[in-house]
Amino acid sequence: MSTLSLARTDEGLSKAARYAILTGVLALAMAMSLMLGYRQYTPLDVWNAFTAFDGSETAVVIVNLRLPRAIIAPLTGASLGIAGVVIQTLARNRIASPDTLGLNAGASLTVVVASFVFGISSLAGLSSAAALGALLTSLIVFGIATSAGGLSPLRIVLVGVTIAGLGHAIVEVILTSNEAELEQLLFWLSGSFMDRPISLALNGLPFVLTGAAIAVALARALDALHADDSTAASLGVPIVLVRGASFVAISILTGTAVAMAGPVSFVGLVVPHAARKIVGLRHTHQIAAAALVGAIYTTLADVLARFVIYPTEAPVGALTAVGGGVVLLALLRRRAA
Amino acid sequence: MTRARTAPVLIPALLAAATLLALAGVAFGSTWIPIENVAMVLVGLGDATQSLIVLQLRLPRVVIAILAGGAVALAGYLLQRVTRNELASPSVLGVVDGAALGVVIFLAAFSNESNALILPIAFQPLAAAIGALAAIALVFVLAGQQAASAIRLLLFGIAVAAVAKALTTVLMLIGPIYRTNQAARWIAGAVNEISWSEIVIVAAALVPLVILTVAAARKLPPADLDEISARSVGLDLPVFRILIFILAALLTAAGVAFAGGIGFVGLMAPHLARLALGRGVYTGLIGSFVLGAMMLVGADLIVRVAFAPVEVPAGTVTAIIGAPYFLFLLMRKQRNDG
Repeated sequence: MSTLSLARTDEGLSKAARYAILTGVLALAMAMSLMLGYRQYTPLDVWNAFTAFDGSETAVVIVNLRLPRAIIAPLTGASLGIAGVVIQTLARNRIASPDTLGLNAGASLTVVVASFVFGISSLAGLSSAAALGALLTSLIVFGIATSAGGLSPLRIVLVGVTIAGLGHAIVEVILTSNEAELEQLLFWLSGSFMDRPISLALNGLPFVLTGAAIAVALARALDALHADDSTAASLGVPIVLVRGASFVAISILTGTAVAMAGPVSFVGLVVPHAARKIVGLRHTHQIAAAALVGAIYTTLADVLARFVIYPTEAPVGALTAVGGGVVLLALLRRRAA
Repeated sequence: MTRARTAPVLIPALLAAATLLALAGVAFGSTWIPIENVAMVLVGLGDATQSLIVLQLRLPRVVIAILAGGAVALAGYLLQRVTRNELASPSVLGVVDGAALGVVIFLAAFSNESNALILPIAFQPLAAAIGALAAIALVFVLAGQQAASAIRLLLFGIAVAAVAKALTTVLMLIGPIYRTNQAARWIAGAVNEISWSEIVIVAAALVPLVILTVAAARKLPPADLDEISARSVGLDLPVFRILIFILAALLTAAGVAFAGGIGFVGLMAPHLARLALGRGVYTGLIGSFVLGAMMLVGADLIVRVAFAPVEVPAGTVTAIIGAPYFLFLLMRKQRNDG
């Protein structure tokens, strides 16, 4: 399987060409995100809005409403994509992801607790709360797995999904008892890039970059860890340190994504598979490609979300949940895990 | 065997406890109505205000909690028996979310611009049934040979449930939907604001289903055998299994059609019944129904007392209690993960 996918990437386009294509597609997706929606704008409208902002409705919509989501969507997708790669290697489990291991739900829970119970509203505060929630959840899930004497990959996912369900139930109790509007609640619980201020992206960026930097720094160690612990140890990889750092990276990336957009489901599950298909198994490449593929995926999903129930907007997380659920079914059928 | 012998004592005790809980469910609320007054109202001797509260507000939610909790628990019992999988339940196999999707599609398709339903509400359980059947069929068709593995079957169920849930969310945002304000029911399961006419529909659907369940129960012990030995006692196992799946899906649909997705009752009630009453089929069925009913009545009581005046969905309480229990089961023994 592994040699097969390595071989597949060696034929045809060079890696540089693949990255160039991915970057091009991402640029195109972001342009679509600026142009398409409730109202359609031409590339010229977009150009004018940025170069000669005239306060017209068109310019305001493009700069104040469309631009933030054209930036937050890819940023969220990239973080979740990288988190997915790291967590799948760490758990040696092709159906692991921030969602299937409950990290998204844990981060959502701490965000809701932080904002409704402790009244925290600063973005840095919420991002930290989300990262903390993701970290605690990952420790709980892996802790349960270890204390049960090592759970099979499938069973870990069941543990993660159950913890996620528990987190959602508690979030629901907090939100309904604070009388949040149902639609608001639905939207937040499903994840969305709508009506997010650009400051969210600016505040999230350093967190995402930190998480990505840790992941990249770990790439060589993850290559070794991917095989098994004894191989990694014989190659001189400090396993405990790498695991710990990986948890931190995953938590920062997942937490920031949740703080920016709410739980956008199954991105971290789907993206690593696509990334491996495109650039093979080396982690440096997996991480880079997952960032690009994740960014493209969420940006396109966000554009699609504006049209599936036009003129109403669908929460983008619901679309990625449908896509991810179908991919999960396909992976299970192929016995990928 | 000792447990089976204690069943004749335990079942009446369980029924008495359930009755007490139901009475408490009627007595507690924003205004406390003493149990003796509740009894007076029930025999037709209460004063007008208390009669109104008891008969129109409190009793309907207790009755629907009994019916819905009991129906989902029966479905869970059947699924656990026939898949020989103690982790199986209507919610993890996607049946609950499938039923919810059916209901929301029905409401979205048959509501007019002024949010009124253009079809009789009695069709709602039918929509739930179609959704539930579609979900369980999808899970088993997709799982194919892998359905033999307890854990794999559950993962297929969870994936199907995730897709159904996401579609439900999208549909609920489209509107106009008949009574969108009650949509929380199909997300989390709640028994408030249920009317007697809805209860009559659920009861009418449940009566034939429960009779069928009892009729099928006779054949459940041979169903524990393998295919060939089952055939030797005159049971076509594949066909019987499919019939039981259909029955379980319909019971779930009747339970959640109006009460919404109540989590983990279908998992826990059959386990508790087995712990308390042993492995007998009939005691298992009775125990599951009564314990399922008690769990939902109790959960509704908790949300009413703890969160008043806000209506927190009762399903969140069953989920918060049920999820750790499911984790416990997952950790306890792993085998057959294939």
